[in-house]
Amino acid sequence: MSVPMERIRNFCIIAHVDHGKSTLADRLLEATTTVSARDMREQILDTLDLERERGITIKLVPVQMKYRGIDGLDYVLNLIDTPGHVDFTYEVSRSLAACEGALLIVDAAQGVEAQTVANAYLAVDHGLEIIPVINKIDLPSAQPEQAAREIEEVVGLDCSDVLLASAKEGKGIKEILEAVIKKVPPPSGERDMPLQALIFDSIYNNYRGVICYIRVTNGTVRTGDMITFMATRRSFQVEEIGVFCPDMRPVDELGPGEVGYLIGNIKTVEEARVGDTVTSSRNPAIAPLPGYRKVKPVVFCGFYPIERDEYPQLRDALEKLQMNDSAIFFEPETSTALGFGFRCGFLGLLHMEIARERLNREFGVDLVATAPNVVYHFRDMSGSLIEAHRPSDFPEASMIEEVLEPFIKITGFVPSEYVGKVMQLCQDRRGVFVGMDYITPQRARIVYELPLAEFIIDFHDRLKSVTRGFASIDYEHAGFRPSNLVKVDILIGGEPVDAFCFVCHVDRAFNRGQEAVRKLKEIIPRQLFEVSLQAAIGKRVIVRQNVKPLRKDVLAKCYGGDITRKRKLLEKQKEGKKRMKQIGRISLPQEAFLAFLKSGDEEEE
Amino acid sequence: MPSSSPAMKKRSNAKRAVSLYIHIPFCESKCPYCSFYSTAMAPGKVENFLGALEAEIDLLKAAHKVLPDVRTTYIGGGTPTVLGPSHWVRLIDILEKGFRFLPGNEVSVEANPGSISRELISLWKEWRVTRVSVGVQSLRDEDLFLLGRSHDAGRSAEAMKIVTEAGFSLSADLLFGLPGQDIRGWHESLKGVIGAGADHVSVYQLALDPGTPWGDRPPAGLAEGYPLYRWAQYYLEKKGYRQYEIASFAKAGKWCRHNVVYWLGGDFLGLGPSAWSCNGFERSRNVIDLDEYCSITGRGELPVCFSEILEGDVLVSERAILALRTRWGIRSRKFSALFGAGSLDTIMQRLEEIPSHLLKRSRGGVYLSREGMRVGNSIWQMLLP
Repeated sequence: MSVPMERIRNFCIIAHVDHGKSTLADRLLEATTTVSARDMREQILDTLDLERERGITIKLVPVQMKYRGIDGLDYVLNLIDTPGHVDFTYEVSRSLAACEGALLIVDAAQGVEAQTVANAYLAVDHGLEIIPVINKIDLPSAQPEQAAREIEEVVGLDCSDVLLASAKEGKGIKEILEAVIKKVPPPSGERDMPLQALIFDSIYNNYRGVICYIRVTNGTVRTGDMITFMATRRSFQVEEIGVFCPDMRPVDELGPGEVGYLIGNIKTVEEARVGDTVTSSRNPAIAPLPGYRKVKPVVFCGFYPIERDEYPQLRDALEKLQMNDSAIFFEPETSTALGFGFRCGFLGLLHMEIARERLNREFGVDLVATAPNVVYHFRDMSGSLIEAHRPSDFPEASMIEEVLEPFIKITGFVPSEYVGKVMQLCQDRRGVFVGMDYITPQRARIVYELPLAEFIIDFHDRLKSVTRGFASIDYEHAGFRPSNLVKVDILIGGEPVDAFCFVCHVDRAFNRGQEAVRKLKEIIPRQLFEVSLQAAIGKRVIVRQNVKPLRKDVLAKCYGGDITRKRKLLEKQKEGKKRMKQIGRISLPQEAFLAFLKSGDEEEE
Repeated sequence: MPSSSPAMKKRSNAKRAVSLYIHIPFCESKCPYCSFYSTAMAPGKVENFLGALEAEIDLLKAAHKVLPDVRTTYIGGGTPTVLGPSHWVRLIDILEKGFRFLPGNEVSVEANPGSISRELISLWKEWRVTRVSVGVQSLRDEDLFLLGRSHDAGRSAEAMKIVTEAGFSLSADLLFGLPGQDIRGWHESLKGVIGAGADHVSVYQLALDPGTPWGDRPPAGLAEGYPLYRWAQYYLEKKGYRQYEIASFAKAGKWCRHNVVYWLGGDFLGLGPSAWSCNGFERSRNVIDLDEYCSITGRGELPVCFSEILEGDVLVSERAILALRTRWGIRSRKFSALFGAGSLDTIMQRLEEIPSHLLKRSRGGVYLSREGMRVGNSIWQMLLP
């Protein structure tokens, strides 16, 4: 490394979604000529197609930039990009732990939003120096003074010399780089101490195995060294170390304060967990770096292949995905309606959606997802605590002493005219009011606590529709609390259908049962006899509807020539019904199950 | 291309009688819902067609030495009544020269109220025609306008009148499930054809076949067929018509023998463009296009474009489906004599799920109840292999 430690700066960019983080990162790379104009493309640090399409960042790509300051000295600036979404709070926290400073980007037209605050506080908690930047000043609706005031009032940062920028037009980029040099403290660490390096991310590469993204705190690491991961206690020989420019470039050594990658014949990301500490096997550190924890999935759903014989492909794809993303949990599950599949656990809804889309795109697996549910805890009569990942894990009501469900604390930034509607929405979702204050006369901050289960159904869409997209929201987990939850079975012709059953609060059981039965009534093909649809809690039926027998059909004529044509038509119809699932004496096409599960999705969009 | 028509094969020497169908491929105008083949009239076209028809008969004769006798006859289309009296004289001449018609048998002609005439009626009377099937469709002008028919309800009533006055057995075709149709309007049509003296009524649900204008762009407000059909079943039976097939109702003894041949697996020979033939085990179709029909027969070849051998499960399930269209249903003894007891068992197993109010079971066999006929399509699906 050509520069001493005092000329290294490790920083990240934190922002609310759409406030221009990726564009700013692009500009920084250009300004430091890290990427030549020829290789430049938009959102260069977002590696997945999915990220570029959705405009969100999922995986973090650190990049090393070389920059000559106006003081004439050469600096190394390590930019660690972070995902802004709450599903990945832990990953964000590990990325923040690898930095000494953060650029806080605020949209000049939108002002401070929920994620701005959540991420800023997270950065403050990690002791980072925060540099506020007001972006998009080129917009006609930009109100930089208003945005600055909000930063001062809501986040509590001094904005007397706030930076103004337009990443889109390349304005204020130089000033940002200078501010990073001036304000972000250089890393501190001892070269001579035993190695301590933080794994702030790890990815799986088909050719190289696992690539760990590390930040060295103390000591040095070189190619050929024997290293140990302190949490998993696994040891490997270092095959290659290097830095991202943003492509991987091998180096001989990484020392204190430096950011780069490490490759060492590591087979799965499970062995190189985010937050773990890398140390030397010969001369290990006394203690790991603080803050490691094993992430636990909070949202579960079933994944089933649409083509039943694609189960092995789905399993392979999930295994490969898990090599990439150790936060994904899965185990085999069988559904009478959907066949063989997997119960999968995720950090949140976005995480689930991403996994589903990646399975489809990268592995070509067509799958159907059952309605997501949270983890439930219940205490049975013997007093032991059991964890349930799916509604069917629920024991009979008489066996349950107490049910607990996860709660979250949500913080919303809401234009004042929508405050009433948002509060109503929260109340409807069993929310408990915590507090409210006005940031400006036009905008309020609302804090509620509500069950995660209510949040994952369609809270975001409802919020979007009641506030016309003008509210932003963020949440944090708030632990498990006792709740009056029940399992609702959906029965077709008296037979329970596992794929349709769900858990909900007793007060909502009737409405949700009614909803499910109504939806089902629309999609099940008429049968030759009357079919009863029921929602039931245990043996108690709470909703009942009968589907009248089939009575709509075309009775076409059929003479000499029509016979062949008719038969072909019937054969075609029959072909479509091949994949019928027998429930009692009722035949349901797979399409009906898919339609039932999918209609939920549409409401979410 | 098969060299001869299947209705003729194997049987030609046995000299068994067949049912004869003649397809007249002309219409004044094309109805937006109709999927049968027809073309517009143009000078010389009818002459060409009649010449080709004669050639087809000659070719069949040449291929089989002797043509079978004709049992029932049906002249349909298209619109047979767009041919004028002179063309009809020629047509009758061709048929009389070509076939031996067994005496006392049914000969039906399809007639359009817009083009039927007293001249044609008297020609038919002189020939062998016993039965005239009038395409009434509806006796409400608004329906007829919507359907793009060339006649109004008054004209239909007039047509039925001259048919019955001439002493023919009158059959009336009616359509249900039309846009905006209600029970009241439907009842008007049913009542009208009964009043006109029809002893046979066919009721067809408007089908939106792909390839027709309405199949591609369905009209708005199509009425649900079920209640209308149910009303027809109720009302016609009250008036002394017996339902003997999904779409067919007849007074005692007036059922259409020709059509029953299709449903009970009899042999039929179809002539003209797009006409089908079947000898029970092989079915074939003539080329659809009139020009092609004329040029192939002109070259001295039989104009067959498609044929299939019926065997195994396909044949068995098809026969079961067709039999269930009729009130006689599947007769156990006859069915197992034809196809074996195993085949009958297979069919009965497939029918097991059907509730007894839809499918009546007796020792002699099974048949659909009135309610069963209403949902026939779903039941037939269960019979497929």
